[in-house]
Amino acid sequence: MESIKLRKITSLWILIVLVLFIVNIVLGILMRLNQGEIIHQSPITFYANMTTHGLTQIGIWFVAGMAAVNYLLQRYVKTSYSANVVAMVLTVIGILMLWSSTYIGKFHAGWTFLYPLPLRIMWAKWATPMFFGSILVMGVGWLTWSVSMMTQLLKKYPLTRALAWQHFKKNPSTQTPPFILITMITLIGIITCLLGAVLLLAMYSAEYFSNGTFVNDALLMKNLTFFFGHTIANEMLYLGLAVIYELFPEVGGRPKWKTTWYVALAWNCTLVFILTAFFHHLYMDFVQPVGFQIVGQIASYMASLPAAGVTVFSVLVAVYRTPIKWSLTNLLFFIGVAGWVIGGLGAVIDVTITNNFVLHNTLWVPAHFHTYNALGNVLFSLAFFHWFSIQFTGGIHKEKFTKLILTLLLIGGIGFLLAFYIGGAESIPRRYSNYPAEFPMAAPLAAGAALFATIYLIAILIFFFNISKRCLNVLFSPS
Amino acid sequence: MQYSILLLFLILTALSALVFTFVFISSKKVGISGQGLSNPLQKRFWFLLILFVVLGIFASVTIPRSPYFLFADEVPARVVHVAARQFAFLLSDKAIDPENPEGKDSIEFLANELVEFRVTSLDVNHGFAIYNPSNRLIAQTQAMPGYVNRLRWKFKEPGKYTILCLEFCGMAHQVMRSSFTVK
Amino acid sequence: MFKRIILSFIAGSFFYGTAAFGQVNPADWKEEANIYEKVYDVSITSNKGINLTFSQLYNEKPVLLALIFTRCSGICNPFLLQLKENLQFKSDTGGFTVLVLSFDPRDTREDMILLSERLGLKNNKQWFFATTGDIEKMNQSVGFNPVWDSARSQYDHDAFLVGINKEGYITKKLLGLRDKHELGLLISSVHDIFSPSYRLPNNNQLFSCFNYNPETGKNAPGLGLLFLALPAIIALLLVLGISYNVRHKQV
Repeated sequence: MESIKLRKITSLWILIVLVLFIVNIVLGILMRLNQGEIIHQSPITFYANMTTHGLTQIGIWFVAGMAAVNYLLQRYVKTSYSANVVAMVLTVIGILMLWSSTYIGKFHAGWTFLYPLPLRIMWAKWATPMFFGSILVMGVGWLTWSVSMMTQLLKKYPLTRALAWQHFKKNPSTQTPPFILITMITLIGIITCLLGAVLLLAMYSAEYFSNGTFVNDALLMKNLTFFFGHTIANEMLYLGLAVIYELFPEVGGRPKWKTTWYVALAWNCTLVFILTAFFHHLYMDFVQPVGFQIVGQIASYMASLPAAGVTVFSVLVAVYRTPIKWSLTNLLFFIGVAGWVIGGLGAVIDVTITNNFVLHNTLWVPAHFHTYNALGNVLFSLAFFHWFSIQFTGGIHKEKFTKLILTLLLIGGIGFLLAFYIGGAESIPRRYSNYPAEFPMAAPLAAGAALFATIYLIAILIFFFNISKRCLNVLFSPS
Repeated sequence: MQYSILLLFLILTALSALVFTFVFISSKKVGISGQGLSNPLQKRFWFLLILFVVLGIFASVTIPRSPYFLFADEVPARVVHVAARQFAFLLSDKAIDPENPEGKDSIEFLANELVEFRVTSLDVNHGFAIYNPSNRLIAQTQAMPGYVNRLRWKFKEPGKYTILCLEFCGMAHQVMRSSFTVK
Repeated sequence: MFKRIILSFIAGSFFYGTAAFGQVNPADWKEEANIYEKVYDVSITSNKGINLTFSQLYNEKPVLLALIFTRCSGICNPFLLQLKENLQFKSDTGGFTVLVLSFDPRDTREDMILLSERLGLKNNKQWFFATTGDIEKMNQSVGFNPVWDSARSQYDHDAFLVGINKEGYITKKLLGLRDKHELGLLISSVHDIFSPSYRLPNNNQLFSCFNYNPETGKNAPGLGLLFLALPAIIALLLVLGISYNVRHKQV
């Protein structure tokens, strides 16, 4: 059913994502080396690296999830190839604009660009509009892509069925595949947060061009920023989950998973919780009404319920005492789910306001989100990449380096993350280019983290060389 | 506090890792004769319920201890105005005039007296984080332009406390700091 | 449509506009001075001719102190009228005293009686009109600096309201004519009700998220909150719109 064009563009996505990921890991290692006093970069370079690293990482893993979902969606509905192409072109342009603003223009306000920092120019004057332009360009591309996918979905499934509402009744007459349900829920979330980004950019530009007559409200801007930033980071994880629901049983040679009433309920609830959970980024802004803070804590807890209660448990049950054909694909899925659970634990600890009081903006924060990205979401996408790359090899494929890749990923990942967690417990601040003398452990931890991150990088490189050949074959095969 | 959090986290992590390993091994061991579930998405409601209850208890225990309610029914013995700006903190007993901001060179508190920090920013968002003499983060709030955040605290341990900025505010964020003494 | 408008607006402004930078307006910090300092225990003479100290007054009930002079041709009258009007709608009227104190040495007891009559507050038990012989120290302790303008025979000054709790500490100050929300914050402050945060006066901001409503002690959603909900609302409409459209084209 899937077209050759889709196959080609998906392999191109995979190659772009992996190349950018490797560059991005190198940026991360450079930052940790600088903090570890092994190399010496100026703070501006460090913060430019940090800004680039953050936004690029969000961008590539978001599109990786989207590309995977788009590819698998073709099994159910016909998707638009041109929307896919538009998204790719705009993503690439956006990334180039971002890199030129941070490396030529020295823009370094962080990828969360907290108002009004981007308007306090400490870099080339054009870099601020260029940075916002890059977000705009990517945002428009992604919005087009998600709206197009959603339209195709809704053509086949009426809204209530796409949201699996018929499963709330006993013995539903029709089935909604879990993949469709999660994709639908995630697409709505993505569209909402991208619209939030549009609004945020509009407010920024209104102030930027108003000659100082219009000043934004810092609290509102912070709310909007995290409404966009938190939600997009969370939704990209759900894209990975959609892929798991579809592929995990299949790759293991098991029957397809079927939606049940509480799976439907849990994911529908997620739609609401995900949009209010971002309040936890503003716990330390006492100006935010206390009611919102409490909503933030409860919504953040709740957001973990469908995830932990349904997905993780289902994966465990699906594996327990069950004969499964293990391959790199489902091993990556399985380890990814474990990493996601552990990162989630770190997150639940941090979204508790009393803990946040002493953990907010320490290294605990990068610790937990790197856990469910580097050892969670990234592995979901890598699993898809691997599965995709062996679809077109003809006979049965035996991966040579499975054990090596997984061992290196785990050793590198755990060591790298542990340095963050210990740093968080040591109250070491995040986003510091160099550490003050108060934290004697900070520099050695950073240097150690750089070492472990290098091990992680080696695993990714082996993985890359393994599958890039196959992806290039797909890309350049005669159509 | 932080190390007990880390300990809790590590214990939970070890438990999860054990469960995953155990489940994985069980799959390896069962061989091809095993049956497995035909649809793992079925009948796990009780698990959701337990999680719900556990998190509910956790929330109801921790929320009343949130920093917004700290020492709310007492009158502070000292008020310190804090104006954060790129890349320094101004601390003063007197209100700080944004046109002509000036801070005091040294601020001292008595141990166990209630201190209220009235924190705001003159430019971008900053963090106002207090580290105790052994460099452990004990309390923080954000400094937001246009708003005043009131942080109340009683310092028990005498010594030199460091204030660091915990919200990225530009190229010299990492050197933005101040301090005060508790006697 | 709306989306397209925003998009073209941003695109247009990014690529064809000329750059100018909004400066963050410094908020007024004078209100922040003297907070939690003890107010000077001044001797005052009431309209009824009773001599007492300020502490006798605030020890009984917290005090809202308004500093005015009767010959004022400017802000004093509108200020007192507004204060009176705003307080009429407060449910909490017995919990504090309003002290209207003259800072002009020329003001006599008779002047203050006249003022109270003019305001229709002569027999109001909550309002207390008084003069003092020791205004300098009082002004100093609350951070009030009226400047004498001999050309106009007037004091150059701002409307000034101070909250003082039962222990005699200054809990909050309001400079200028302010709305009743802010008056409400001042009243809660004299009752030692802690609010973890507040906005600084700044009229430049259009979209603030929350406006504190002192009557309920809660934050009322402002225009900004609507902005927060806007993306969700548009997304919902978009989903419903697409869903409606595709179904109807197919049938």
